[in-house]
Amino acid sequence: MKKRVTLTFPYRTVHMPVTYRLAKEFNVAANIIRAQVAPNQVGKLVVELSGDIDQLQSAMDWMRSQDIGISLANREIVIDEESCVHCGLCTGICPTEALTLDPKTFQLHFSRLRCIVCEQCVPTCPVQAISTNF
Amino acid sequence: MPCIVTLVHTMRTIAEINAKIQHGSAVVKTVEAVKAQISEIGITQTAKAVDVVVTGTFEPMESSGAILNLGHTDPPIKIRQCWLDGVPAYAGFGAVDLYLGASQPAEPLGAGDSPDGEPAHERGGGHVIEDLIAGKNIPLRAVGQVTDCYPRATLDTMINQDTINQFYLFNPRNLYQNFIVGVNGGDRPLFTYLGPLQPRLGNAVYANSGALSPLFNDPTLRLIGIGTRIFLGGGIGYVTWEGTQHFPLQKRLPNDTPIGPAATLALIGDAKQMQAKWVRGCYFRQYGPSLMIGVGVPLPVLDETVIQRCAITDAELVAPVVDFSIPRRVRPTFGLVSYAQLKSGRIKIENKTVRVAPLTSLYLARQVASELQQWIQSGQFLLSEPVAEIPCDRTFKPQNTWGSQMTLE
Repeated sequence: MKKRVTLTFPYRTVHMPVTYRLAKEFNVAANIIRAQVAPNQVGKLVVELSGDIDQLQSAMDWMRSQDIGISLANREIVIDEESCVHCGLCTGICPTEALTLDPKTFQLHFSRLRCIVCEQCVPTCPVQAISTNF
Repeated sequence: MPCIVTLVHTMRTIAEINAKIQHGSAVVKTVEAVKAQISEIGITQTAKAVDVVVTGTFEPMESSGAILNLGHTDPPIKIRQCWLDGVPAYAGFGAVDLYLGASQPAEPLGAGDSPDGEPAHERGGGHVIEDLIAGKNIPLRAVGQVTDCYPRATLDTMINQDTINQFYLFNPRNLYQNFIVGVNGGDRPLFTYLGPLQPRLGNAVYANSGALSPLFNDPTLRLIGIGTRIFLGGGIGYVTWEGTQHFPLQKRLPNDTPIGPAATLALIGDAKQMQAKWVRGCYFRQYGPSLMIGVGVPLPVLDETVIQRCAITDAELVAPVVDFSIPRRVRPTFGLVSYAQLKSGRIKIENKTVRVAPLTSLYLARQVASELQQWIQSGQFLLSEPVAEIPCDRTFKPQNTWGSQMTLE
C-alpha cells in the first residue's frame, strides 16, 4: 500500500539516513516528493511511502520513536472555482503538469496526484484563485 | 493593412439583418460553429445560411480604465488629487471628473510592504473597477484646489456605482489583432506582463485567442469601424476610435492576417450595465495590476467574403516568439509559430520542446461569444452601421530621446 506523509525532523535526526533505514529495515520505498533539509535546521520531507501494510506501520512507529514527526494531513493546492478564469497561465509553470488545460474545452484541470505542492502556481495566478489549504 | 474595396455581390445589408433579429428569424452563430459549418457545406452555402457571426475574447487589456463623475458636494470641490481605495485616479480635468487607470497600482501603505518592493496588497485600478461593477462601496479620498468657485479643500467619503453620475469604461487600447509569444533565453527568471518566464526557455506564453479572436476574422477591418456596437464586459459598448499603437501596416501573410501585433481598437461602454464576471482585476507578480475583460464582436454576413475570412484556422495564423531576456525596444525573436502549435501546449524553439501556456482564457472567450449570440437571438442586441472606417495606414513610431545618447555608430 501507499501512504503520503509529511515528516518533520528535529535537528538531531537530520544526520540520520532515514530513507536508507526505511528500505533496509522495513522494506519500505520512500519516494521523495518534496524536501527541505539543511544542516542545523528542522527538516521537512514530503514522501510517498510504499510497502506492506504491517511494515509501513512498524516503519512509522520506528520514525516516531526517533522523534520524527509524521503528519498525514498534507498541504494541498486549492483552486477557487469561483475566481478562476481558466486563463491557463499556471499550466506553463507547473513543473509536474498537475495543472493542465483540457485540450477540447480549455478548462483548467488540476490533478492532485501529480502535484508536488511546490506552490509556484500560487503567486503566478493573476486572479489569486490558487492557495494552499494551510 | 491593405485598404481594398472589393466588389462582391452583397447578400444582405445591416438593416435587413436587424429586421430579421427583431423578427427573431436571424441565424446567429459563433465563429467556431461557422468554421465547422464551412468545412461541412462550404463557404457559399454557409454564407447563404448565416446572418451574423459572433466572435469573442477574454484577456488582460491593461490599457483600460474608467471615467467617473462624482456629482458635486456642498460646498463644492475642484479635485486635483484623488485615491479610490488607495489607488490614485487622474483628476486634472473637470472638477469632479476622474479617470481610474486599470494598471495603476495601489499606493504603498509603508509598513507591511515587503522589502523587495512588492506591495503587500496586490491591488490596482483594475480591482477597484471590478469592485465598483460588483456594486461594492469604495472609500474615496480627495484633495482639492481651493478657489472662489470651489471652496472645499478635502473630501473623504464612500462611493458606489449608484451614488455617482457617470461610470463608464473608456479603454484606449483593447482587442489587439495578434500579439507576441514571450520566452526567456536568459539565465534568471523574468516577471513580465505575460507572467513569469522561466530561464533557458523554460516556458512560453501567448496572449491571443487565435482563430476565435475578433480581429483575425476581419483582418482588414472591413466590417468593424467607429460606432460598431459590441459586447464589452457584459454590457453594451462601442468601438470609438483606432486604439493606441494601432499598427495596421504590420507585415501580413497572403491571407491578410498580421505576423505580429497590428490593429488595435479603443472601446467605450457603460460600466453600470457590466458584470464583474466579465471585468476582472488581475495582478502579475513583480509587474503590476491589470484588467481582464471579455469583449465580443458581431460580424454581419454582408457577402461571401465575410465567411471566406471567417474560415481562417489556427494553423493559418502565426505569432512571433520574442526573447524577453534582452530588455530593449526591439527584442530578438526565435521566428514565427502557428496558433495551432501554441494551442497544442508545446512549441519547438531551436530544437528544444518548450511548454506553452495561454494568458487569454479560451474557455471564457467561447462563453463571451455564446452570450452575445443569445443577446442577438433574443432581439436585445442590434447590429450598428459603422460611422467611419478605422485608418489602415498608420505607422508605428518609436520614441527616441533627444540629447546625448550612447551609440555604437
